[in-house]
Amino acid sequence: MTEVEVEDKRVTLTEAAKMVKDGDGLFWGGFGYQRPPIAFAHELVRQKKRNLTVYTCGSEVDLEIMAGANVATRYEIAFSAIEALGLSYNIRRRVSEGALAVEDYSNLAMAMRFLGGALNIPFMPLRSMMGTDMVRLSRYRGDDKLKVIDCPFTGDKICLVPSLQPEFSIVHVQRVDMQGNAQIDGIVGEDIEGSRCGKKLIVLAEELIDKEEVRKRPDQTEIPAMYVDHVVVLPYIAHPMECHDYYDYDLEHLMMFHKMSQTEEGWQEYLDNYILGVDDHFGYLDLVGWERLMGLRAKKPWGY
Amino acid sequence: MVEYTKTEFLIACASRHVRDGENVFGGTGMPLLAALLAKETHAPRMNLISEAGYIDARPRQVPLSVADSRYYYGCSASIGLIETLGFLLQGGRIDVGFLGAAQIDEYGNLNTSYIGPYDRPKVKLPGSGGGNDIASSAKRLIIMMSHDKRKFVKDLDYMTSPGHLEGPGSREKWSLVGNGPEVVITDMCQMDFDPETLKIRLLSVHPGYSVEDIKENVMFDIIIPDDVPTTEEPTAEQIAIMHKLDPHGVYLGKGG
Repeated sequence: MTEVEVEDKRVTLTEAAKMVKDGDGLFWGGFGYQRPPIAFAHELVRQKKRNLTVYTCGSEVDLEIMAGANVATRYEIAFSAIEALGLSYNIRRRVSEGALAVEDYSNLAMAMRFLGGALNIPFMPLRSMMGTDMVRLSRYRGDDKLKVIDCPFTGDKICLVPSLQPEFSIVHVQRVDMQGNAQIDGIVGEDIEGSRCGKKLIVLAEELIDKEEVRKRPDQTEIPAMYVDHVVVLPYIAHPMECHDYYDYDLEHLMMFHKMSQTEEGWQEYLDNYILGVDDHFGYLDLVGWERLMGLRAKKPWGY
Repeated sequence: MVEYTKTEFLIACASRHVRDGENVFGGTGMPLLAALLAKETHAPRMNLISEAGYIDARPRQVPLSVADSRYYYGCSASIGLIETLGFLLQGGRIDVGFLGAAQIDEYGNLNTSYIGPYDRPKVKLPGSGGGNDIASSAKRLIIMMSHDKRKFVKDLDYMTSPGHLEGPGSREKWSLVGNGPEVVITDMCQMDFDPETLKIRLLSVHPGYSVEDIKENVMFDIIIPDDVPTTEEPTAEQIAIMHKLDPHGVYLGKGG
């Protein structure tokens, strides 16, 4: 086979974040402590984006950052907290102030909304949420949060959730080639559906690999290049959270973040130091310190 | 006489409700330790699943997150959410789910979303996560809570996850896949559900507590059977295994 020249989709983090317009909707990748695109959240804050809507199952530090810095005003999510540490204080404050509206769904409901968007189907049925306030109460979506119908085939009650096709999908993976073939190690969370539901897909990756590496093990490609619009390659995108096979979470930094976010003053100090006080992602990593970052590197075969 | 903390008691108690060969959503924290303890003792064929996508997991160190890489090494499959919450759970293949809550009512319905009115909440709690999915579709639900009167309420501020909803027939009315909560375990007692009314019923009180203590520490009328036994205490073996599973006291605390 003749190897033809392929498109190089690489852009800088700054360029990628510039494409996001105020008011846009974003599918937000990663799950729990695993592969959250925190570097992208930082850059959205530095570029002072406003009125974003974020769609995800459960993210933690990144949702706290985007709510705290008033970048996002609407969340359609299932979960917000820092697992094992406690409540998400920034989100709690912004909700109390009325600066953030959270439309509540379950994890499966959000995953189905991404699957529906990816399949280009307007809604998806599921058997969760029924009989509870998740069905009875809604915020800005009103009656369009979900519908409960009698199944036209069986007559059983079934819940329908509206599919999502937001302006962008933002997904963080371990490896990518310059054309955008992306490989994920460990769990995929809701990133298979999520990466395919957005109108544009930005993939952030820890490592750039050659196309030959992709062709050698094509079963590792969770997101084929044909879905991918832009690629950003950077180290430690998820810090202080983890990236399977690459680095562990930074529990000390995470605990510091959680403690500082307990008060508005503490959060503003974190924001000024770690996000606004640096020029870019490398500035942030320099501030955290490379010795510390190298100490987080995953040890084979454990993956953390 | 074995000495134990409240946390150790809760974990040992919960682990006894897990049966051998069952498919269990373990989560993190106390439920995870309860599931792992069951596997190390009476339920070696229990299949531990994390909703993030890890199947047949046997973590060497306790995970802090359901997505933690500590869940990965040694598991049989590492997939994703549609797999675990969709194919497995909604497919009716999960036997046991564990949940905690900030509020519970007499039918075992749970609030993990808001304290105060929905329109102006005093506190925004974590929300459902996979909790509503698990409460809707797991065959059995084990609820673990610290016992605080303000948590055992007549009316929830917000119903995140279904227990037995409004009583007999209501889970069927909503076509829910699972059978709802089976047991509620606190640091004072164990409760199950009266089969006629599906309301909370006292099952056993932990050593040091009386039936009166329990009645005084719930805000609804709890059903009290004629015979209320004392809950079985943890064994020295169970406590030793717990600390082997969590040597740094991530969930057990530094004491003990």
